[in-house]
Amino acid sequence: MEAEKNIFEKVKRYVLIVEDEQINRELLGAIVSERYEVLYAADGEEAWNIIKEKGQIISVMLLDLVMPKMDGFELMKKVMENEDTRHIPIIVLTSEKSAEVKSLNMGASDFITKPYDMPEVILARINRIIEHSENRSIIKSTERDELTGLFSRNFFYEYILVIRRLNEDREMDAIAINIDHFHLINEIYGRNYGDMVLKTIAKTLKSYARENDGIAARVEADTFYLYAKHRDDYGDLSSRIGEDMNEISKTVHAHVRIGIYPEKKTDTDIENMFDRAKLACNTIRGKFRESVAFYNDELHENVFFSERLIHDMYEGIEKKQFKVYFQPKYDIQENEPVLRSAEALIRWQHPEFGMISPGAFISLFEENGLIQKIDHFIWKEAASNVRKWRDKYGVTLPVSVNVSRIDIYDPEIESRIMNILNEFDLKPADLHLEITESAYADNAEQLVEMVRNFRKKGFIIEMDDFGAGYSSLNMLSTVPIDVLKLDMKFVRNMNKDEKSMRMIELIMDIAGFLSVPVVAEGVENEEQYRLLKDAGCELIQGYYFSKPVPPEEFEEFVKKLADK
Amino acid sequence: MLTVEALKEFGADTETGLARCLNKEELYLKLVKKLAESDDLTKLEGAIAENNLEAAFNAAHTLKGVTANLSLDPILVPTSEMTEHLRRGDDVDYNSYLKEIRAQWEKFRALVS
Repeated sequence: MEAEKNIFEKVKRYVLIVEDEQINRELLGAIVSERYEVLYAADGEEAWNIIKEKGQIISVMLLDLVMPKMDGFELMKKVMENEDTRHIPIIVLTSEKSAEVKSLNMGASDFITKPYDMPEVILARINRIIEHSENRSIIKSTERDELTGLFSRNFFYEYILVIRRLNEDREMDAIAINIDHFHLINEIYGRNYGDMVLKTIAKTLKSYARENDGIAARVEADTFYLYAKHRDDYGDLSSRIGEDMNEISKTVHAHVRIGIYPEKKTDTDIENMFDRAKLACNTIRGKFRESVAFYNDELHENVFFSERLIHDMYEGIEKKQFKVYFQPKYDIQENEPVLRSAEALIRWQHPEFGMISPGAFISLFEENGLIQKIDHFIWKEAASNVRKWRDKYGVTLPVSVNVSRIDIYDPEIESRIMNILNEFDLKPADLHLEITESAYADNAEQLVEMVRNFRKKGFIIEMDDFGAGYSSLNMLSTVPIDVLKLDMKFVRNMNKDEKSMRMIELIMDIAGFLSVPVVAEGVENEEQYRLLKDAGCELIQGYYFSKPVPPEEFEEFVKKLADK
Repeated sequence: MLTVEALKEFGADTETGLARCLNKEELYLKLVKKLAESDDLTKLEGAIAENNLEAAFNAAHTLKGVTANLSLDPILVPTSEMTEHLRRGDDVDYNSYLKEIRAQWEKFRALVS
């Protein structure tokens, strides 16, 4: 236990003495108070009231058997039957041999005989019982991490439980410490050096824990946990780690991150506290100038919200909370704007959070691949509506759907889309596929191959959000596309700054050179519409004509077109 | 004034009694004085007079326990024997035990006051 044991020695432990005879009670109290705080009760009833109130902090109870009101056996039964109190070890005070067996059967841990043994014996017995009870659940797991000598996770958690129970007025922090790109240190400088780094950090944390009434653990390869006295500033710990690391090498710089979650009185789940500390710690991953981060609720809410959305997605699809909306695209180069096609956009009517904007969940689902499910759903909905419009109104109106970056890696993507088309008896030209530039950055070859294959089958490929990222002319010349979609921000700023307007003209020129039409998104007003029309932009999509609308409403557009 | 010496002369095993009190003389003497004020013996006598052996056992048991902890052997020894008889409900002359205990008790009280 070495250093960390300090905190266990420092905490006050309470011993409850239950004995009706005043002189015996006082004598025992004098002995016990040599090492512990003492609580007194003169009968079982009084004892039970104290236990109900302070049970959590009572380390052991010394119990006389023969007492008025409620006797020792009755009290013992009550304590043992109650979930909240049965952790309290009981040492029975008795002069009767016959009572020993009965007490043992009822769960007593030990005996003190009357007349009392010598004080040393009594104290030793109490001490042994307390140690035993505090370690009982811990003994089963491995106490130490072999490499660093710090506690292992299970042990660490168990000790926190003990500290919490014995130290009601504590103000502690849950702290997670992690090294950025530790695997690189191992790879570049070798395993031995990596181990040295871990040991050095462990040593620093150990002495920090000792000084701050805390305990330290290594829980994963390069993740350490600390549970220590609350502080507002961790610059000190951070620089200490830095200095100690400097001692082993001046050239290798490991970025050590510290995330802190200050414990609240209401916190119960230990793992939860450290998850939050880790969360704070991860917010500064890769930010080499920052090494300390405190947890805040906003952080939690973001993550909590994200996790909820991920969790709720499957049910959302099943229960049809996701809806595909359609936004019309108009050809503006005719005398009068003509509806030419539509874009399918996803909406999520969440039962609890209401309408969630795609901005809140698309990138989230992109990260973990769930976006494929959403894509498939949209493809099918789009196809089914195209079919419906044709059957009902005799109108052929293609719909653009997104193909996410991750879909490009799906070897089944072609057959998936073809199956949908077959299901609704449609042709490839009925669905336009929108891809983004970023997919090109990820894997140019794969994208080019996929686009070629789709085009061969007759699909129309649209390059979405052009100009949003690092647009590359090289990309435009290698990926064979059919339509260029201007990123919204150019349109938004075109009548505000000169540059955006020039960019639009430039992109129009490029499109002209490639002989592909340009679609402008996010067109909101007459002025933008005029400017774009004059610049030679063929197609427009935006609130100026219509916001994205549910299929029922979009049917009105289709109907109008059919009536013409 | 009550002293450890006087108790030793009375026949108490003061060495053990003191050790049990962490060798704190003050504590030992304080507890002994408290005993002198207790009415356990009066209760025991009353119970015997009423022939209530159960009440007598409880009173004797308590007196035995405290005198044992304080090592007041002259009172402890007869009280202990009487307690065992009472526990078994033996038909013995309890009054002769009481007489002996009362005699020792009075000696003890004289020391304290």
